[in-house]
Amino acid sequence: MSLARVVATTWRENLLFAVLVELTYRCNLDCFFCYNDLALRGEPLSREQYFRLFDDLRDMEVLNLTLSGGEPLAHPDFLALGARARELGFAVRIKSNGHALRGELARRVRDEVDPFMIEVSLHGATAATHDRQTRVPGSFTRLLANLAELRELGLRVKINSTLTAWNEGELAGMFALADSLGLQLQVDPEVTPRDDGGREPLQVAASREGVRRLFELQFERARTAEANQPPEVARGGDDGTMPTPLHKHCGAGSSGIAIDPYGNVYPCVQWRRPVGNLHQQSVRDIWRGSAGLAEVRDLTVEVKDMIAAQGKGSHLLNFCPGSAAAQTGSPLRVYPVAAQRKELMEEVMAEEAKRPLLPVIG
Amino acid sequence: MSSITLSTVLRRRSDVRYRRIEGEAVVLRQSAAEVLVLNEVGASVLDLADGERSVRQWIEELTHEYDADADTLARDVLTFAGELHDAGMLEEVSGEAKP
Repeated sequence: MSLARVVATTWRENLLFAVLVELTYRCNLDCFFCYNDLALRGEPLSREQYFRLFDDLRDMEVLNLTLSGGEPLAHPDFLALGARARELGFAVRIKSNGHALRGELARRVRDEVDPFMIEVSLHGATAATHDRQTRVPGSFTRLLANLAELRELGLRVKINSTLTAWNEGELAGMFALADSLGLQLQVDPEVTPRDDGGREPLQVAASREGVRRLFELQFERARTAEANQPPEVARGGDDGTMPTPLHKHCGAGSSGIAIDPYGNVYPCVQWRRPVGNLHQQSVRDIWRGSAGLAEVRDLTVEVKDMIAAQGKGSHLLNFCPGSAAAQTGSPLRVYPVAAQRKELMEEVMAEEAKRPLLPVIG
Repeated sequence: MSSITLSTVLRRRSDVRYRRIEGEAVVLRQSAAEVLVLNEVGASVLDLADGERSVRQWIEELTHEYDADADTLARDVLTFAGELHDAGMLEEVSGEAKP
């Protein structure tokens, strides 16, 4: 059985496989376009509740556990929780801004948590742009020093970035910077609304030209890469990486969930539709009995049909039902950013198709 | 070439993470960022590789679990153990197996 078929099995059979835990919304940076709902209130999950949650997830055969935030390292029990996750055999990912990941803390993360991957955020190729987005002077310089240190410690690091109006002019520089550090850079072309529906982050959404430039750069880089791999143009499930026919658009609520610091459970980090709360029920009970999750699973089938009805190239929408719900009120409605992405990707692909094939030398 | 014998004691390497999905095992070897999917026997071998039992003891346990010819099962398990060892998922433990 291939990994793709295993993933398909988890979607079809509703087998929980990947969980993202937002440990805290505290953060040592102050990014302008942060999507967290900082006004959300509730009783934070205790260390013991996290331990019970992790035990349950272990018993449910969850492999991938992502510790996120806010800034997950700002949680007072981060190391204890990470160590417990390691002990229980999860493949742990940490999504961090990287600001505190240095010195003794970085060493302890390596030795006590042993994460499979640390994903950090880069906001520009210059201090002026990066620090403008994080609103913390010196954060760019410190991040570069920390990234070098993490590499020296032997930690596997990936860089994530969101394309914005402020950094779109530095895209090539950001890729060059990542290359110089020997790290993979993944750029998300879409600024999303805040989790409470607030649209302020969209003020810095990238321009049409900026998104197009990103796609062009991705093709350019794929062309020159040793493996000559085509750039990723769509999420898993729509691009041939998943066995067909899959009856669901994605694994939201079928193989994955996200959990906020107050125990609210969502089908996905993007799809902020609460389907249960860990103060009231165990994750097992939510997974088995939540009417909200059952609805989401049905909706992912409807989304699949809706996307198919869009016709040729509909996979280029890279449609996310969570984003659709946030931006249009319905997980079934194509939102403007997705439509624009398809249009731009088709333009760039058409340009690429005209490019002559180069002979192989040597 | 694997040097695994029936008396070898093996354990999972510390960078191995795995879970069972519908009987099979999805295995991540963190240091190499490799993902493998093993069949049911392979998944059982991973479960058994606790650094305390010998390959011979695994075969005895699996003989009870599976309705299979003992010689065939022994050959399969030995081969599997060697492959997982060569792939860097299992490592030898010095000393005797626990009875």
